[in-house]
Amino acid sequence: MSVEFKPYPFEAKQYAARLPELKGGHEAQRHAVTIVGGGPVGYAVALGLAKHGVRSVLIEADESVCYGSRAICISRRSLEIIERLGALEGFLTKGLPWTGGRSFYRNDEVLHFTMPQDENQKLPPMVNLAQYHIEQFLLDAAERHADLIDIRWRTKVTSVQHHAHGATLALSTPEGDYTLDTDWLVAADGGRSTVREALGLKLEGTTYEGRYVIVDILLDSARPTERLAYFDPASNPGSTVLVHKQPDNVWRIDYQLRDDEDADEAIKPGNVMPRVQSLLDMMGDKAPWSPVWITIYKANALTLERYRHGRVLFAGDAAHLVPIFGVRGANSGIDDADNLAWKLAWVVKGLAGETLLDSYSDERVYAAHENLSYGTKSTEFMAPPSFAFDLMRTAVLSLARQHAAVRSLINPRQTSAIAYLASPLNAASDTFASGPPPGAVLPECPLTIVDRDGAREGHVTDLVAPRFTAFYFSEDGATPTPIAALETTLAERALPFALVPLAQRRPADTPRLSAWDHTGRLFPMYAAQPGTLYLVRPDGHVLGRWHGDVDATAAHALAALDHALRA
Amino acid sequence: MTDSELDSVYTHLCKTMTGLGEANGPLFLARFALLAIERIGDAQASLSLIDAAGENVSASVPQ
Repeated sequence: MSVEFKPYPFEAKQYAARLPELKGGHEAQRHAVTIVGGGPVGYAVALGLAKHGVRSVLIEADESVCYGSRAICISRRSLEIIERLGALEGFLTKGLPWTGGRSFYRNDEVLHFTMPQDENQKLPPMVNLAQYHIEQFLLDAAERHADLIDIRWRTKVTSVQHHAHGATLALSTPEGDYTLDTDWLVAADGGRSTVREALGLKLEGTTYEGRYVIVDILLDSARPTERLAYFDPASNPGSTVLVHKQPDNVWRIDYQLRDDEDADEAIKPGNVMPRVQSLLDMMGDKAPWSPVWITIYKANALTLERYRHGRVLFAGDAAHLVPIFGVRGANSGIDDADNLAWKLAWVVKGLAGETLLDSYSDERVYAAHENLSYGTKSTEFMAPPSFAFDLMRTAVLSLARQHAAVRSLINPRQTSAIAYLASPLNAASDTFASGPPPGAVLPECPLTIVDRDGAREGHVTDLVAPRFTAFYFSEDGATPTPIAALETTLAERALPFALVPLAQRRPADTPRLSAWDHTGRLFPMYAAQPGTLYLVRPDGHVLGRWHGDVDATAAHALAALDHALRA
Repeated sequence: MTDSELDSVYTHLCKTMTGLGEANGPLFLARFALLAIERIGDAQASLSLIDAAGENVSASVPQ
């Protein structure tokens, strides 16, 4: 059967290799940070460092952004991070926002789930766009920081030597080979990480046997953007099929192979086309379509034991592999980058001791285990690993139409931000009846931001920046002396910090940055009274929170920073 | 019971059954059914559950 593949509707710019200034085959300039891997996570680390004014070299083996749609779902938490990195616009313009999904068993719809969405939110719960777009928008932002981010295209790592004070990389390019020295090495080089292999480290966990064929097609369809899951559909009996809409008429179809199907045979276009056609006929999509890309996927639930190995830090798929079901792969990698970038920047700038980077490993290994446990549940349902899981799944699906109570078992458990409730960084805090505890991310809420340019409507997450932020809650925006003194004390130590008053009513016009709770929902959401203080990290997680005596609160906040930074 | 608790119970059921092997699956589930009936302690409720479980059951997956 002759099948005409169409190309993706995307042209990737090709870049040339470039050699830096060398002395005897060795780069003359030593670097503070070198990142290996020009994917979403590598760019997110480079951009995060740049926002703190820290330079990096980024090593990429290929000549352009990736081929293939790969990661296609970007979560709200990732969009918040991407906004802070200065790359949000492309994601919102190109990406398709969505809020829920439907699951079907044979001919019946058995689940309709929605992701958290309400009037407090700034960003959609999820947007779909292909990884080549994800990388392109991050690359565009990185090129706007060309003074701080030095991208080396067509450059392969051939060896890694690491020691107490850094690492030496041997690099190979079409223009010639060279070595470079770096104080810190970030391995963001993916599932088959060269750096991880070079250090002799192994991922540990489970590899699932269940295989999925992933097919991207071009199809003109007016269907809305929602995740569709079909269990044992008439079109592909005994199989499980996932459908995701992407921009530019690209559609992602994933279908499960039976255990006895041969993978090499299964991905031949002659075998794929009829199965896709059958699915589209069942869905009622009649427009002509063309295949673009076919590949095989196997779910993994694997992680390194720790992500810091001396001067080498692992992030993204180089550190952990999570199942696609629940979309925690790229999203957890971007969260790794957000956690790592500020900590690495502060260590490089001498604002914190190196042990701050151990907290990166502690927090993100914990997050990986959380993601894996949800991802595992989702995978056990999407690709049942034993006769028992398979049998129980059939029971759930066949009961779900009549019995609502079992439907939660079908839910894919989509990704959300992880709270580091046991983090070593968390400060001893006062007891609050509700609101985000130390380690949690800030819940979103609209508020009115006031600064020297005037007043504008915004959201809490607009106030997160490359610094520690103290939100001081009050009636009118006033800051008592011990609280205001935090700014002077921390300025003397050259620690990036801002005190942001959050008021119940519109504060008097001042040039300083502040905000007020125009909806009346902010204070209750944070269980805040006048006198409450929340100390927030550069990555938007709470470091500590206090209420009550003003002198004690100020002292606690300073102690919390000392404890976290061990400077 | 929260969704999370239901998840844990469901997973434990699947893993226990996996460990016993496919041949023991039906007997394991039969025993669980009896234990559950006894625990529910309400004949009418159990009879309804039996009827609900028997509805729309189709044993084979169409090939």
